[in-house]
Amino acid sequence: EHDGNSFLVVSVKKMFTYIWQYLYTAFFRFWLKWFIRQVTGKCELQRICQGYNPGATRTMKTEYSLKSSKSQILRNAVNVEEDEVEICVTRIIKEKNIHEQKDPKFKINLQVCLLQISGYQRLCVAVEDLRKQAFDSAVNEHENMLLKFFILFVNNITQSQFINKQWGDIGFQGDDPKTDFRGMGMLGLTNLIFFSENHTEVARQVLSHSNHPKLGYSYAIVGINLTEMAYSLLNSGALKPHFYNVVPGNPQLEHFHRVYCYLVYEFDKFWLKEEPESIMEFNHYREKFHEEVKRLLLEPDVALCLTLETKQ
Amino acid sequence: MGLLTILKKMKQKEREMRLLMLGLDNAGKTTILKKFNGEDVSTVSPTLGFNIKTLEHRGYKLNIWDVGGQKSLRSYWRNYFESTDGLIWVVDSADRLRLEDCRQELSSLLLEERLAGATLLVFANKQDLPGALSKDAIREGLALDAIKSHHWCIMGCSAVTGESLLAGVDWLLDDIAARIFTAD
Repeated sequence: EHDGNSFLVVSVKKMFTYIWQYLYTAFFRFWLKWFIRQVTGKCELQRICQGYNPGATRTMKTEYSLKSSKSQILRNAVNVEEDEVEICVTRIIKEKNIHEQKDPKFKINLQVCLLQISGYQRLCVAVEDLRKQAFDSAVNEHENMLLKFFILFVNNITQSQFINKQWGDIGFQGDDPKTDFRGMGMLGLTNLIFFSENHTEVARQVLSHSNHPKLGYSYAIVGINLTEMAYSLLNSGALKPHFYNVVPGNPQLEHFHRVYCYLVYEFDKFWLKEEPESIMEFNHYREKFHEEVKRLLLEPDVALCLTLETKQ
Repeated sequence: MGLLTILKKMKQKEREMRLLMLGLDNAGKTTILKKFNGEDVSTVSPTLGFNIKTLEHRGYKLNIWDVGGQKSLRSYWRNYFESTDGLIWVVDSADRLRLEDCRQELSSLLLEERLAGATLLVFANKQDLPGALSKDAIREGLALDAIKSHHWCIMGCSAVTGESLLAGVDWLLDDIAARIFTAD
């Protein structure tokens, strides 16, 4: 009976929360905004841009404000094309009756926010396009990219491994790396190469860890699994705060690759620290790491940047 | 009442089954598991370690273990044999080069004592690919007709389209159920 009572209390509480949320979004929010506008002479977007420093909090609040606006011009602004951002901001200024002279910075601030918000959608599309490109070793360009990846580790491998393309040694599953790229396509390979090219020393260090007799793991396959992690974080919107903090404009593929580099570097550290029983525990630790990254992404000033620990 | 009988009774009550899915890397084990569970299969990455999913099907609680198939992981397969009711062996029907590899791995599995009581379902996967061998060619390539130690069945399927996945699992459940839930 006691359980029944507490269940009832919880249900009633939930119901009131729903009703309150509905009333708030449908009516009160509008009147509250109207009232504050009369008092301060500024619309919500202006207050956000003035009240918060550039970065995730400002852009996320702007995004929410635009999406829940009653005006179609504002609601559509989150999907604006890159070259129409300026026109779009001018339209918003007109729609909201904003005096530009009184708030000279507003225009440029809102432009940056819009570039970030719509740019995130464009980045999702670009990443998806690259993922959908299947890796095909019959295509010269793809084969060359893979060789390039291999050569970056030439210090660590012998000539014969290179000639025989012993992909297993850099952590592919078998003789034909193609099958390992099935889900992530060229996105997986581009990620691997970006990390090796831009952080060659770190990459070699990570590869040598992965060859550890006890804590070793398949470097390339773990890399592809981390591409999948980065990809799902991007698509769920979880990476928004990171990009809004780190890129003051339109994010590019390169910025996505940089998130990947962060994940590889941090996962390697995490794996060595946790000392798993064997590679069979991979999914457990992958999930644990994933949760940790998601928790970081809830912090307003998050920036997933690869920072090397300087050795004393 | 022996321990085995008690275990059987407990299982009977819960109608629980443990299925172990094995096969060479890139056979499509994880994709089959995800498709069967109604998940997106376009972004599957190579499996390191294992995945386990518990799902309800036809009133049974299925614990499906999907263990990575790359060479370096195969020595760990034995850790998952215990109390397996059904073994699902997944074959990439388009991978002609490794069919012999595939036959050898399967035949050594069937010698395992701890898998002795398990029913065997062979999925000749990737039937949607143009170069795929037919179900009968796989049956021959794996020398299935020589198997006398286990109940077995081969099913041509496609994890991507979902074709015949259900039919295969249903056969497996019927065979296992006939064995462990009605014997007494």
